[in-house]
Amino acid sequence: MEKGEVLINHYGPLSYEEIGFLLNKMTSLLERYNFGITIRKKVYAAMVESLENIYKHQDVIKGSNNYQPKFSLVLENNAVDLTCSNSLLKIKTKRLKERLEKVNQLDKAGLREFYKEVILGENVTQKGGAGLGIINIAKVTENKLEFTFDDIDEQYAYFTLRIKVSLQNLNN
Amino acid sequence: MEPLYIEPSEFTPRVFFDPENSVFEISGFSRPENAVGFYKPLIKWLEDYEEQILAKNINFNKSNLTFNLKLTYFNSATSKFLLDILLLFMKFHSKGNTIEINWYYDEDDDEIFESGEEISEMINFPFNFIPITPNV
Repeated sequence: MEKGEVLINHYGPLSYEEIGFLLNKMTSLLERYNFGITIRKKVYAAMVESLENIYKHQDVIKGSNNYQPKFSLVLENNAVDLTCSNSLLKIKTKRLKERLEKVNQLDKAGLREFYKEVILGENVTQKGGAGLGIINIAKVTENKLEFTFDDIDEQYAYFTLRIKVSLQNLNN
Repeated sequence: MEPLYIEPSEFTPRVFFDPENSVFEISGFSRPENAVGFYKPLIKWLEDYEEQILAKNINFNKSNLTFNLKLTYFNSATSKFLLDILLLFMKFHSKGNTIEINWYYDEDDDEIFESGEEISEMINFPFNFIPITPNV
């Protein structure tokens, strides 16, 4: 498969302002490629939710500069691929994995139902997480989410999420 | 009761709750860094409005309230608070007030339109869907 064109590559700490900067960069790049509003909004939504997930839920490894947040946006022939990684306490991985596996099993109608169940049932945490980000990404992109948890040490893992926004039939 | 006005920022929407004309509006872009901190005061204001204005209206004719949502983008944390605000309007409705909810959307923007449909379905109350001319 032909290697895609890397539009954005970020490695390092992620502030709220930095997220805004990356979003603006993506918007202007996709406009330059003449992608229509539907694609731009799908990529935008997936990017906001994944970057805000890192911002709100990452567990920074004290005293280490390794395993910082990572984000890339790559334009392939038939899709825009988003990949994001962050360090995370291993005790959190079970619940996250369960949620990812659950959304991957659901179709569009199932995701709508699950979204409804969570939005009506779960409270927004002080960090601002509503438990909806992952479901929203799956709902908007309509593709299965790929993910890995790589061991860093006994306490931490490096979580990577790969999101695909298909371009077929959506290039408007 | 004083109206609630919040200027829009890069990450937060414009808010104008006008008790005198019974028109309530949230417009623009919503990705607040602190969703709790931004939206809780709106909910508190509406709870005070119910207590200070709606509950004191003992006329046979209750109030006609209009809620305009003109959002161009909102993140998932915002959607939880929008739902909480809409559920408050449903509470006002259950007490005899007439409610009109207008959901404005860019006519090319399927995401915002579908979000409106979903939220309307969730609260089991019809929205007026009003397309606006795209400017992107």
